[in-house]
Amino acid sequence: MPEFSRRTLGDLALCALVIAGSIVMFIGASTLPPPRFEPLGSAAVPRILGGILIVLSVIVAVQAVVARNSESESRPERPAAIPYRGTMVLIALVVYVGALDFGRVPFNVATPLFVLASGLAMSRPTFRHALFFAALGLGVALLLDWILSTFLFIRIG
Amino acid sequence: MIDAFILLFQWQNLAFLVLGTGLGIVIGAIPGLTATMLIALTLPLTFHMDPVSAVTLLIGEYVGGISGGLITAILLRMPGTPASIVTTFDGYPMAQSGRAERALALGIMASVVGGVISWMFLASMSPSLARFALKFGPWEYFTLVLMALVMLAVLAQGSLAKGLMGAALGMAFALPGIDSSIGQARLTFGSSTLLSGFGLLPVLIGAFAISQVLRDSNSAATDLKIDPPKKRLPVYWSDIRTHGANMLRSSVIGTWIGLLPGIGGNIAALVSYSTTKQLSREPEKFGTGYEPGVVSAETANNASIGGALIPLITMGIPGSVTEAILIGALTIHNLQPGPLLFQNAPEIAYGIIAAYLVANIIMLLMMWGAVKWIARVVQIPRSTLLSIILVFCVTGSYAVNSSFADVWVMIAFGVIGLGLEAARVPLGPFVIGFVLSPIAEEQLRASLMMSDGDVTEILGRPWALFFLVLCVLTLIWPVIAARIGKRNTA
Repeated sequence: MPEFSRRTLGDLALCALVIAGSIVMFIGASTLPPPRFEPLGSAAVPRILGGILIVLSVIVAVQAVVARNSESESRPERPAAIPYRGTMVLIALVVYVGALDFGRVPFNVATPLFVLASGLAMSRPTFRHALFFAALGLGVALLLDWILSTFLFIRIG
Repeated sequence: MIDAFILLFQWQNLAFLVLGTGLGIVIGAIPGLTATMLIALTLPLTFHMDPVSAVTLLIGEYVGGISGGLITAILLRMPGTPASIVTTFDGYPMAQSGRAERALALGIMASVVGGVISWMFLASMSPSLARFALKFGPWEYFTLVLMALVMLAVLAQGSLAKGLMGAALGMAFALPGIDSSIGQARLTFGSSTLLSGFGLLPVLIGAFAISQVLRDSNSAATDLKIDPPKKRLPVYWSDIRTHGANMLRSSVIGTWIGLLPGIGGNIAALVSYSTTKQLSREPEKFGTGYEPGVVSAETANNASIGGALIPLITMGIPGSVTEAILIGALTIHNLQPGPLLFQNAPEIAYGIIAAYLVANIIMLLMMWGAVKWIARVVQIPRSTLLSIILVFCVTGSYAVNSSFADVWVMIAFGVIGLGLEAARVPLGPFVIGFVLSPIAEEQLRASLMMSDGDVTEILGRPWALFFLVLCVLTLIWPVIAARIGKRNTA
């Protein structure tokens, strides 16, 4: 029996997540009151969409399993490269927003640090690059802070 | 219309149009960054702007973004936007054979001609189409939205089931919040943050900008090396005779393809290129640096913008993600795109039409005069650009409601967008499903209220029935086409 390919597993995981989400929608819709002033009511559309999503998930899952038999026997799939840079940038972004939201770190401090971290994650980490990204981050932070507070009366961080 | 032009030529509106077009050209020229992403990022800033200025800025970005893609398509064989993919077929071979300036000149001219001809369609058809659409009731609107969504899902690249799944998922994410019909919380699960639902801007910025930056950051270390044009851009009077018919035909093809939901500038360019090749006396020269190839592709992709704006302003139906974002821009200014826009806010409806024409002319002047410098700007390291874009994403999402909840929603939708793309679920139907879901539900509920829950009333409404039949045909056509294909090969 052929093993599941990365693509098949991805499709099956997607279907499982979508079905789980649809069940959550059904649960949410079940708490809504029945229609009183109109024929459709508030719960109808979540139920219709939940049903459509489940049907589509089953179709995608069946297609993935059927396609697996024809594709996986012929050539083994090369393992895909893990997107390190993207993951590091995402982590930097979450830490940055977390610092602004929960840590109350000032915008003009958090932004240069974030630009430094994300910039270095996306390029070669050298001292020159670090200096450049820190300066760039500070410039962008000061400019945005000035625009937001002067024209839009918004304080961030 | 004249009033719209007068309003547009007020210094602040013109300045925003010039700014938008310039930004669009630069961003459009950078492979990986698109007009859609730029418009999504700029949208929060327009929240605090006058609606006419906001619309002119965004239209300028749209036109510039699609046109700018030709620079790197010709000089690097890397289309700045998907709409310029076909331009690489002949543009790059022309540049390789020392005719980069000629390819750029033809591309720019063709873009402007495509834009101007599609503007004529936009200006002449929109008011009458809007008057016609005023006769539509809730059943017609519901089936029209349904048809647009199904067409988008079916025409999106990849599996039909995944296209439909993308649209349904987008619609599902628009459900949480206060149900405006009965004023009760729906699918919020006790969360006060979810009472206002997922904001349009954080969802758009997350799904497009964040997911794209995260994807591009993996290849950000490789910077572009470009050889900017050195000589002046040559165009001749004889080009009118040589390429006039091609430009006219490609403009018509681009405009009409742009009208259809889900088919963007890239398909318009491809269809126009294939048609020109089929009608050519020298089809073997296409793909080897042949001028009509560049002309047909660039004329059609720009003309598709004018076509796509027609259903947007007359019926409020977005043909692509960019138009969905433009609907968002109008919505945040309390303007409902659709036939009533011409009555309730004529300065906006006609302003969009006027801005589209002037943006094309500004694009011509800018690209003609500054193509050398734009080509140099493209060489800014991507790590620098992407880092700054992320900061803009965060501040943009925060600025709408001064709330970090929106920023977290943006990040979450960035991850969702990345996950959907990894699973080959198209993002276009997802975002447009999100935008159109409230309209579809509202119209369906109104229809059923008017007919006392009787669904068969749709049979007495010819336009609604027509849209429904088109919807069903769009759904079953791939199956029929596959069967015909199998029978032919057998």
